[in-house]
Amino acid sequence: MSDKQNTIRDFIAEGFQQGWKHLDASRLTSDQTLEADVVIIGSGAGGGSSAEILAQSGLNVIIVEEGPLQTSRDFHMKEDEAYANLYQESAGRQTKDRGIKIFQGRMVGGGTGISWTTCFRTPSTTLKFWADEMGVKGFSENEMRPWFEWAEKRYNIQQWKVPPNANNSTLEIGCEKLGVSWGKISRNVTGCINLGYCGTGCPVNAKQSTLVTTIPGALEEGATLISKARAEKFEINNGKITELKCRAMTPRGNAPAVQTIKIKARHYVLAAGSIGSPAILLRSENKILNPNGLVGTRTFLHPVNISGAIMPFLVKGEYGAPQTSYSDHFIETRLDNQKPGFILECPPLQPMLMATALDGHGKFHAEIMRQRPFLQVLIALQRDGFHQESVGGNVYLKSDGTPGLDYPVSKYVWEGIRDAFIAMSEIQFAAGAKTVAPVHRDAGLYHNIKEVKKAIAVLPMETLKARLFSAHVMGGCPMGEDSAKSVVNSKGHHHEVENLSVFDGSVFPTSIAANPMESIFAATAKFATELAKNMVN
Amino acid sequence: MLTRRNLFKLGAVSGVTLLAIETFHASPEIPPAPDGLGHSFEILTPEDRGVLSKLTPVILAEALPESTEDRELAVKEVIVGWDIAVSGLPPLTQHEIRKLFSVLDSNFMLSLTPRLLTGVPGAWDDPSEIEFFLNTWRLSDPESLLTGNELRVGYMGMVEITMASWYANKRSWDFCGYAGPPVLY
Ligand SMILES: Cc1cc2nc3c(=O)[nH]c(=O)nc-3n(C[C@H](O)[C@H](O)[C@H](O)COP(=O)(O)OP(=O)(O)OC[C@H]3O[C@@H](n4cnc5c(N)ncnc54)[C@H](O)[C@@H]3O)c2cc1C
Ligand code: SF4
Repeated sequence: MSDKQNTIRDFIAEGFQQGWKHLDASRLTSDQTLEADVVIIGSGAGGGSSAEILAQSGLNVIIVEEGPLQTSRDFHMKEDEAYANLYQESAGRQTKDRGIKIFQGRMVGGGTGISWTTCFRTPSTTLKFWADEMGVKGFSENEMRPWFEWAEKRYNIQQWKVPPNANNSTLEIGCEKLGVSWGKISRNVTGCINLGYCGTGCPVNAKQSTLVTTIPGALEEGATLISKARAEKFEINNGKITELKCRAMTPRGNAPAVQTIKIKARHYVLAAGSIGSPAILLRSENKILNPNGLVGTRTFLHPVNISGAIMPFLVKGEYGAPQTSYSDHFIETRLDNQKPGFILECPPLQPMLMATALDGHGKFHAEIMRQRPFLQVLIALQRDGFHQESVGGNVYLKSDGTPGLDYPVSKYVWEGIRDAFIAMSEIQFAAGAKTVAPVHRDAGLYHNIKEVKKAIAVLPMETLKARLFSAHVMGGCPMGEDSAKSVVNSKGHHHEVENLSVFDGSVFPTSIAANPMESIFAATAKFATELAKNMVN
Repeated sequence: MLTRRNLFKLGAVSGVTLLAIETFHASPEIPPAPDGLGHSFEILTPEDRGVLSKLTPVILAEALPESTEDRELAVKEVIVGWDIAVSGLPPLTQHEIRKLFSVLDSNFMLSLTPRLLTGVPGAWDDPSEIEFFLNTWRLSDPESLLTGNELRVGYMGMVEITMASWYANKRSWDFCGYAGPPVLY
């Protein structure tokens, strides 16, 4: 068999055929009651890593996931299909005032299943801020090193050596010309054939998501996976959780069905991601879970704004690994927080994603879409959470109990967004752009740097005018040693409820200031290893 | 005076029009809903489809095929795509979209009245009127005291789902120079 056929083999689907335990809750015809040592809610970066570690130490694990179980053979590189099946709210989740569009995964694999495979260790400046300002213990660079190494090994995170696509090389060239520092991205892939469709699910099992690594690892040890089941709330008695109440989803997955699943466990691990994990705590409506009202606070987004450029050469950013080059120049030069810092990266450029990210309609929109193969796009991710005027957003419950996020962008962050529009257009013009279009309601197409800078200087930096996005939701159950200021301690354990932990990106007390996935892998592996030790003894 | 132009504004900003039009909904005079190409609609009513059949050509403009026949087919497919997309959204979001359509639908019905009664075309038959209306919503103040961010949000939702529906469709790929997903085997 050739290498190629090897990668295309859907060994995950085969695993289920050969007896891994899986229950598709949307097919249930009656209510269920189950028991386990540990129940893990969510199967993404945190849930997957935790599941394997806990199962390997001999514990009986159940994983509950709201999204569907789909495997490589179901990933057809079709945007409409993927956004509807694999993303929260069909990729239409938004902040309360609709000012920021939020992308999160909702599948077995969580966000790792649709991630663009960009991996960074947590920046040392972020770790230091947590220690100095947020009361976090055990997260120094030295203490974290073995866990980053664990993540890099388990998820095969390596420097990507294949030449970048033209979308990414434009970032490199522009930075180089301006003397702005840039770097190459490491990716969690094995046998990647450089397709560029990471965002619609990897069709060849090259992406080392939890779907193809740690979830199978846990299943191999006898864990049970329940898909299409939404964890609703915890029952509490005498200060301990006695039961998790879940509800099956309908086959389509967009609404709850009638069947319920009750799970009793010795320990409960929340790994439903930011927004998702706080929502379960809020729905449980028990003071002991949220004694200081901090659940859902300090939710960060790395708010993203976008700059498009028409280049004199073909870019075709829909093909080739989506993110391979980055610049953290505007993080490194702004660590004093006088002005907010931001990272520069590139997104994949499949047409549906692009068409929906632009503002406007009619001739203006059509003209840009006509030139789409020549379009180069930069995104800027704001480093939120490191300044007293950057406190993030709050998770709240809507009338039907599903979560929303109220995230007003502060004046301080808006200025970072304005600076990012300028920085991106400078890089694009330096790399030879013919025209640049900042994605903003009131912006047009500009032909040179002078023109664009003049326009950006007066663009209103206001909600629903500058188009904002986020694929990095972090925080909402902040960790720290002071129980008056945090929800969990530095080991991910809830301060008040002894059989509850939070092992996902919601524990971060600020944004990461780099793509968060590897940080979540590392932090949760550390947490789960300690929990496993305590539970086995 | 109730000119066509302020008719749009009126319908846009107030649910009041909705009440006035209840009787029309009850009447058998259904506007021309594009046929569904065999799709059985789960969410979109005939009125919604009537509205979308007028909005889509203005939203997509040159991105639609040139020949009348292809163009009409494309619009129908966009509307089917809309129905499929919305039927996969969470129930609360579906509810919001229904609210948005109820404003547009009542407006649409109202504008049909002159045509039904007198044969004079209503505002929805004039693309420049629709363009005017879309831009009013697009440029509306997200912090308006009267409507809050509703118009701007309504505009963004309408346009986004239309764009998503069209650019997911193979028929749009030639226009935007997309060769489609790579062939693996
Ligand atoms: C399109 C996209 C691209 C990305 N690319 C990158 C990248 O290249 N690099 C990077 O570092 N990061 C990337 N991210 C971000 C990264 O995926 C997330 O930060 C990470 O997956 C979060 O891990 P988590 O464990 O906290 O939550 P998630 O991975 O989001 O997992 C949470 C899981 O819990 C499930 N869930 C939620 N609520 C419930 C409930 N009530 N009951 C049961 N299950 C529930 C969800 O369906 C989900 O599957 C990307 C994200 C997106 C959306
Ligand atoms: S670039 Fe293609 S092959 Fe590589 S990980 Fe992404 S989807 Fe898979």
